[in-house]
Amino acid sequence: MEFEYLIIFLPLIGSIISGFFGKFIGSRNSEILTSLFVSISSILSFLIFYKVFNENYINNLDIFTWINSGTFNVNWSIKIDALSSVMLVVVTLVSSIVHIYSIGYMSHDPHKQRFMSYLSLFTFSMLMLVTSDNFLQLFFGWEGVGLCSYFLIGFWFKKESANAAAIKAFVVNRVGDFGFALGIFLIFYLFGTVNYTEVFELIPQSLEKDLSFLGINFNAINLICILLFMGAMGKSAQIFLHTWLPDAMEGPTPVSALIHAATMVTAGVFLVVRCSPIYEYSPLALNIITIVGMSTAFFAATVALAQDDIKKIIAYSTCSQLGYMFFAAGVGAYNVAMFHLFTHAFFKALLFLGSGSVIHSFKDEQNINLMGGVWKKLPYTWLLMIIGTLALTGFPFLSGFYSKDAIIEFAYLRGNTAGYFAAGIGIFTALLTSIYSWRLLFKTFHGNYNNKKLNISSMHESPMVMIIPLIILAIGAIFSGFLFKDLFIGIESSSNFWKNSIFFLEPLSHDHPPSWFIFLTPILVILSIPLAYYFFIKNNKITNDIVNGNLPLYNFLKNKWYFDELYDYLFVNPSKKIGLYFWKKIDLKFIDRFGPDGISNLIKNISLLAVKFQNGFIYHYAFVMLLGFSALLTFLILK
Amino acid sequence: MIIHSIFFYFFSIIAIFSAIMVIVSRNTVHSVFFLILDFITISCLFIMIGAEFIGMMMLIVYVGAVAVLFLFVVMMLNVSQQKNEWLSGEKNSNHIPVGLLISVVIFFELIIVVGGWKYKPELLKNFSSIGIDLSTTNTHEIGKVLYTDYIHLFQLSGMILLVAMIGAIVLTFRKRDGIKRQSYFKQISREREEGVELADPKNNEGVKIDA
Amino acid sequence: MLEITLGHYLILAATIFTIGIVGIFLNRKNVIVILMSIELILLAVNINLVSFSIYLNDLTGQIFTIFILTVAAAEAAIGLAIIVIYYRNSGTIRVQEIDKLKG
Repeated sequence: MEFEYLIIFLPLIGSIISGFFGKFIGSRNSEILTSLFVSISSILSFLIFYKVFNENYINNLDIFTWINSGTFNVNWSIKIDALSSVMLVVVTLVSSIVHIYSIGYMSHDPHKQRFMSYLSLFTFSMLMLVTSDNFLQLFFGWEGVGLCSYFLIGFWFKKESANAAAIKAFVVNRVGDFGFALGIFLIFYLFGTVNYTEVFELIPQSLEKDLSFLGINFNAINLICILLFMGAMGKSAQIFLHTWLPDAMEGPTPVSALIHAATMVTAGVFLVVRCSPIYEYSPLALNIITIVGMSTAFFAATVALAQDDIKKIIAYSTCSQLGYMFFAAGVGAYNVAMFHLFTHAFFKALLFLGSGSVIHSFKDEQNINLMGGVWKKLPYTWLLMIIGTLALTGFPFLSGFYSKDAIIEFAYLRGNTAGYFAAGIGIFTALLTSIYSWRLLFKTFHGNYNNKKLNISSMHESPMVMIIPLIILAIGAIFSGFLFKDLFIGIESSSNFWKNSIFFLEPLSHDHPPSWFIFLTPILVILSIPLAYYFFIKNNKITNDIVNGNLPLYNFLKNKWYFDELYDYLFVNPSKKIGLYFWKKIDLKFIDRFGPDGISNLIKNISLLAVKFQNGFIYHYAFVMLLGFSALLTFLILK
Repeated sequence: MIIHSIFFYFFSIIAIFSAIMVIVSRNTVHSVFFLILDFITISCLFIMIGAEFIGMMMLIVYVGAVAVLFLFVVMMLNVSQQKNEWLSGEKNSNHIPVGLLISVVIFFELIIVVGGWKYKPELLKNFSSIGIDLSTTNTHEIGKVLYTDYIHLFQLSGMILLVAMIGAIVLTFRKRDGIKRQSYFKQISREREEGVELADPKNNEGVKIDA
Repeated sequence: MLEITLGHYLILAATIFTIGIVGIFLNRKNVIVILMSIELILLAVNINLVSFSIYLNDLTGQIFTIFILTVAAAEAAIGLAIIVIYYRNSGTIRVQEIDKLKG
């Protein structure tokens, strides 16, 4: 029984049934159906994962031939190896959890079928993306998840801001996709194929190839890697192309959990890791990735400190953790990046869904300044959020500890100043992460009850259908690090596991950093808990004084380093002006004048003229006949 | 030959003059007269060059039938009383120069044939399929050919005339109401029952007859 | 100029032909003049045919002329009948007022 087909296509079937026939089968049935299908996919993915790591199972099924044109062959296929099986597990597990959670979260929404259909469609696209064996199918999945992201962010399409956010996400993604597409074109141009295996074989022979563009010579491999990374920057919201991620919080919270925590934004990391055979040969691109990743991590952490919206804080946290993952990939530790991706999926989804539960209880209030003091009222949510926060910050022995600290260790082990610098920033960012995470938790659940609209007695816990998925995620957040660390990043067993799916040009160093270094981060993290409690809850005044004393800095952070305003000034307003100009001047005055309007007027005038020919006087007709006759005669004679 | 040329020029000048007068004259009846003159002149021309049958035919058919028909219609339609403007300022009066120009162009194109023979005299060869035998009369000649080789066309032209006659009658025929006519068909097909009615008059009584 | 060749007859025929054509569209009087112009055109054609026949010693031209005569007569008859009907229906045969084909 080929499980792979089921894994990939069950969500698609669920999406189609729920999307087109949802009205007929009823909303409750469509919810159950889609959740069931995705859950089956998830169980089967676990089976595949088990097979891969136990029996070294790899497979490459061709579903059917997509393009067969000369020497250009591309198939729709399902490629199972270690990398894709890990992604399968992550995607399907989080997706099924989000489906079940949405049954409860969207219970008041009249468009449940559409929501479930979009969620399943997204799952299908993501699965196509991770199981492809060529760049074209990857691009198909890439665009598919972008499209579903657009649908889901703008799900409440009657809201103006949701529409704008959806368009922003799509357009910013597009900028990245432009680079990505160019990269794929370049790969095809250089190698004549877009299938992974063939491209990866040809890379070592093409190291010296140069590409000349506008008179400048670029090394081809570097160029490919940088272009592919542009796509990853767009999809994974790295700095410069990150502006869409906070605005994407306009969508419902399950969407944020699925797409912007666990799956879509990790597609960029997946791309870089999948193309590790190419990236290993391009030190320039790897350096760029490292710098971008670290800058993003730092930038996002600083901004998250000053945000007040609970979902935006978690969104920036995602952005920051993605920076960590790219950073790990950039220093060559692809397996560590994948490990962090794996654990991050659990605790970030947990945090998002937990915050969704909080928002649900507060009747759609999202500002943490207007929450507080409800830990007794929402015990399950509180406990689960604590677990998530602990995992995120890297509290010892929870999952984040293993993955995040591995990244920082690898940075340190590089040995050069860049490595030390990066490690330092990594530690500082981890501290910031801890501070803003605990700030979130404490301001939401502890301190005084600050909500003006609702009475504290009306706070009640979310229904079980929303809590149970969170419990599953919490189990993952606690144990996934410890259980899988050997498999993913252990010294011998990991190369057994990853085998050919990740390529290392030189093996990673197996040294250990000095002990004080190993303990530095966890100590900082543990210390930050009481510090955060003190500064944000107990003694608000000091915090407020610091803020007021450094108002420009605070505003700079709060306004996301003014990136949106900068882009507005640089790109958006000029584009709008150009568009307006083109519309008014060229479209209306020029093209319409010579095109449709002009031509219709011209035809009217000509036909008015032509009507005058038919005036009914016979002698006129005879005259015209004569004219024709003489013309013919002249022509014949002159011939 | 000089007689030939004198006669030719004489007839042709009259023909051209009367053709112009057909178009130009103000009175339509005058136009018809000039047309008749034109026909007569050309027929004389034909007789002069030896195609006397054609000339006579033209006189009889064209002048005797067609032109007279024109006269009938002109008289019948009260045309001469209608005013005629030839060169007065009409809306399309600028179309006279253009028209004249075009007709001059056509005239010259027709003349080109003549000029061509100067350069290629061999085009003027005799291709005669039916030679003209000068020993018999023209009529005889035509008759020899018309009833043998061209008999089908002859019959066909007869049919054309028949169709034309019928067509003219069909077009212009109209029934007038209120005229009493005999209908022979009805008269002959009357039965005894409709025709005879037995009346039995008594003495000194009349008979009431219903018409 | 004194020697009358075929060309002279042709020029004569061309002249009458042109005059006939001019008469069709340059008259402002009535439709009968158009019919008369048509007769003139046919006359010019006849002259052409007969002169060719005589000068090239070929009887075919005269035969054809007979048929043209026949057809011209038939056509004149029908044309006049149509004019009579038209006059009956619309009361005028002035050329400017015949514009029922307008559109």
